Amino acid sequence: MNRTKQVYRYLRGYTLDPGFSTTLDTMSINNTIYRIRWEDLTVSDQANGNAVKRLGPVGEYFEVIDVDPPSRCFYDPVDLDSINILSQNGLQPSEGNPQFHQQFLYTIAMKTLEDFERSLGRKLIWSPRRIRNGRKEQYVGRIRLYPHAFRAANAYYDTTKKAILFGYFKAALQVKGTNFPGGAVFTCLSPDIISHEVTHALLDSIHPRFLENTNRDVPAFHEGFSDIIALLQRFTIKELVIDQLISTSGSLDKFNFLGELATQFGTALAHGRGALRSAIGSYNKKGKWERTVPDPTLYQTVTEAHQRGAILVATFFDALIKVYNFKTADLIRIASNGSGVLPEGSISMDLAKRLASEVCEISDHLMNIAIRALDYCPPIDITFGDFLRALITADIDFAEADENNYRIALIDAFRSWGIFPNGVNTLSEESLQWSQPDLNEVEGKALQLTADFLKDKVRDLNSISDRQIIWERSQEIQKELHKFLVEKKRDTLGAEQWEQWLKKIGITSEPLKLSEPNGRTLNASKSVPVPIEIHKVRPAFRVGNQGVILEQVIVTITQSISVNVKTGDGHRQSMRFRGGSTIIFDRSKDFSLSYIISKSINDGTRFFSQLDYQAVVSDQNTSFTDSMYEENNGFESINFASLHFH
Amino acid sequence: MGKLEVNVSMYPVGELGDCFLLKFSQDDAHCSVLIDSGSFSNSKASIARLRVIAEDIKQKQTLVGKVNPIDVVVGTHQHNDHLSNFVHSKDIFKEIGMKNVWLSWLDEPGNEHADNIAKGERKLVNKLEEINAKISKITNLKKGQTAQRINEILGFYGLDKQPKQNPVIPQYALNNLKEIAEAISYLTPGKVLSLPSFPEDAVKIYVLGPPTDNDMLFDINPGKGESYDEKLKTAINGTDAFLSALTNFSDCPCDEESYFPFNERYKMDPTEHAGAIGSYNLKGQEWRKIDDDWLEQAERLALYLDTYTNNSSLVLAFEMVQAEKVLLFVGDAQTGNWLSWKKVDFGAGNTSVSNLLARTVLYKVGHHCSHNATLPECLEKMTHPELVAMIPVDITDSHISRKNGWKMPSANLYKRIKELANGRILRMDGNYQSDCPIEGGHADTNWGAMLSHVNMEKIAGLNNEIVTYKIY
Repeated sequence: MNRTKQVYRYLRGYTLDPGFSTTLDTMSINNTIYRIRWEDLTVSDQANGNAVKRLGPVGEYFEVIDVDPPSRCFYDPVDLDSINILSQNGLQPSEGNPQFHQQFLYTIAMKTLEDFERSLGRKLIWSPRRIRNGRKEQYVGRIRLYPHAFRAANAYYDTTKKAILFGYFKAALQVKGTNFPGGAVFTCLSPDIISHEVTHALLDSIHPRFLENTNRDVPAFHEGFSDIIALLQRFTIKELVIDQLISTSGSLDKFNFLGELATQFGTALAHGRGALRSAIGSYNKKGKWERTVPDPTLYQTVTEAHQRGAILVATFFDALIKVYNFKTADLIRIASNGSGVLPEGSISMDLAKRLASEVCEISDHLMNIAIRALDYCPPIDITFGDFLRALITADIDFAEADENNYRIALIDAFRSWGIFPNGVNTLSEESLQWSQPDLNEVEGKALQLTADFLKDKVRDLNSISDRQIIWERSQEIQKELHKFLVEKKRDTLGAEQWEQWLKKIGITSEPLKLSEPNGRTLNASKSVPVPIEIHKVRPAFRVGNQGVILEQVIVTITQSISVNVKTGDGHRQSMRFRGGSTIIFDRSKDFSLSYIISKSINDGTRFFSQLDYQAVVSDQNTSFTDSMYEENNGFESINFASLHFH
Repeated sequence: MGKLEVNVSMYPVGELGDCFLLKFSQDDAHCSVLIDSGSFSNSKASIARLRVIAEDIKQKQTLVGKVNPIDVVVGTHQHNDHLSNFVHSKDIFKEIGMKNVWLSWLDEPGNEHADNIAKGERKLVNKLEEINAKISKITNLKKGQTAQRINEILGFYGLDKQPKQNPVIPQYALNNLKEIAEAISYLTPGKVLSLPSFPEDAVKIYVLGPPTDNDMLFDINPGKGESYDEKLKTAINGTDAFLSALTNFSDCPCDEESYFPFNERYKMDPTEHAGAIGSYNLKGQEWRKIDDDWLEQAERLALYLDTYTNNSSLVLAFEMVQAEKVLLFVGDAQTGNWLSWKKVDFGAGNTSVSNLLARTVLYKVGHHCSHNATLPECLEKMTHPELVAMIPVDITDSHISRKNGWKMPSANLYKRIKELANGRILRMDGNYQSDCPIEGGHADTNWGAMLSHVNMEKIAGLNNEIVTYKIY
């Protein structure tokens, strides 16, 4: 047995995309060596239990499968463990070698996964496959990555196949930017596109109900969040940031390509005018890059998912700049003899390196907060405002003192983009933080019972390393908890008091009374008690900024009713309305309750606003409906294939 | 001077299609306007119905034994369901005669910009047709709905059956219109016309679309600074790539396939090395295969084409000046066309688009009431208390009635239109009475009062009645 264990795998790849390797000023910064976690690329063969190597690469979380159906062929899978590849830090970046494509796709997917697992403090488990009309769930060990799935300028996460399909296409016959007319463009070679799509899958694994288009922020959140991760990842690549800061005299206001996503992709389209997405700034008519100025009206008016998501991206970037300016003010003063104004032109390499370290650190931290905040989101019907509250709460938990003003910067940025959470009186940290539940005696008792129940069950989950066993064990605990909540403890505490506890955690076993202020009421006969679903019982162990260690157990519970809605011309449509909560227990404090983040099912206002939204969503949201014949009227779940990457 | 009145007749074409005859009269002045005449299919049954309609138009143009030519014939856009009758009943229309034919600037020969677009559009049609023909020959692909969808969309171009013998009916129709017409005009947004043989200020006709703006608005979601012919180019590139891929399923893949996307030496035959593709062929994992997913791209391209043509619709607003009432005919204009109206300027002394919308008393609902052919912000401006909507939709059309059929009328749009029109909706398939309450509304604007202005005419050979609505 080999005693020195491999820890990392080093693999070469692009930092931007292949287009930047063909111009002199960017080619030197377009390559880097990525460091990803080492994993055993052999899997045990189900048939006879022997360890076999499945090339692909096929790892614990992803399997790259390089079939190219339109070309009616496949490409030999790369063996990342071969001595030739290991000794060279992977294959040389190349557009013409499909094996490099496989390697690169695997690299960026793993890197994104690592960012998530590091922030969340637990192993991620993909959202299960639903079979038998959604009545049963099946474990999914690996997300499939198809690097050459179809011929079009698109890439998407297929929620039913649990696969990400990357397209390729032929660049238009025009000379524009770094476009090579008629050349092949591969979406699987753009790190932005890969992390964007992988983030969709990761987000889906944490919040499967975010696929339900219940308000206009939900699809926008999926898109915006995926872009935020793609963008922040790029801002943690130091050599890129150094180069950029040198050319902008240390300012984050004067970017060019670093602030854009999918540049090669964008310029290769016949109608392309540059990068695919530029939420944080764009070129003006004189060809100068300008930052997007916050416009609080957009959040009220923009409805298309990507454009609305771009608001969230811009908000995050504003926060990044605010923190950067705050943290580097001293450095700038030192470098400018106290004036605080750097001379025009390039700055020194030393300064650029110091500033870049700050940018990378801030980006890394912001990414951390953003991902952690996912655990502090309600399990359904997310809004940008909810996300702000989740961000603030998560950050308070991980860094009690806001030494570098991250929270202030975030609050300020959200304010300047006109995003305000519901049900909050002020934009202070204290009001934005999800409130710590105030329990009366009965509820306290119920909590104690619930905590005692969970304590033992969750303990051994931590020590399991096989994700499938974690999943299976969690499923059992979920079932038991379900039973416990629905049946058991009535006897101990009495039905009425138990019901009070259920309401506290956002659910109910009684018929619903859904009505709204201006009069509409849901027929009571439709409001029969609704099944309770336990989505998740997962312990998490994470280390915060100032040496804080958080050991939490996260439980998500939802409940739903299906209502038959009559639409304008008499069609009947069933609408699913959900309520539920994310409950966070603190294990280190003997399972005390940290937060109940809930959206009650007994909320008539929310019910009718979802009904109104889903009834008209198709008219407002053109990107959901590039087909006029199949009216996707919002009652169905989000389809990423038609919600194009672009 | 007597009152100006107009009778708007909606012909029941029996399937997807538009055919509207407007008869204006004031004292001794008469003017007839025919807006589109066509239906989706070119089947025998469809042709028979359309000929009955043409004969009826002829009869309605006959006064004291004399057939008067139609004063104005409008062809909104080049789709079969709007123009096919000018092919199938060419002889009848020839007998009737047409004094003026109004088409959009996109149909004007010699207009370079229009020609480029037309060429691009035709190219895309042809490519899709080619894809359609090739796909249907390939047997080793599971084609799912793709072939059917492309086929249906190509149906709008009148070339679904035997393309060789029966090329491009809408184009034939245009040629026929040009042949029959005494005069022909190509209209550009911003233009204001008056009704032939009427005093100049009696009826004004405003041209709202299709947009000429090269930088915007011919698309579903135009990006900043994107022009529509370039998006068309992207779509054509897409069809080329698709066609090239299809050759891989024939005996002789085209040359390009030997180096696209990779050099041939990288390409492995999946049937010969089935075991080598990692986990792809594992048992129990069939649900994750992607053998046919790439075909969906062709369907998207076809839909793009369809949207594109719909957006080329000629949009006209007829203003009855003295009564301050407006009749709005939008063809099948989709979002891009509607959005462009904001920029249209009718010149000094003329009204604005918002004003026209506010005074609209008759809205010919666009694209058979599909959800994306009426822009909500414009619809909300149609606030006239007498608003009536005419919807050329027939839900017995098999494209609509089948499982997962086309959502026409769109439930939510229909509901909103019904609210705005206070229940006064006239449908081509005669399905209005059960939907629209006779009670309610203002005394002079409710459904019951409106019915006295509606005439239903049953003629042999048509399943439904011709609905005529009188406005004065």
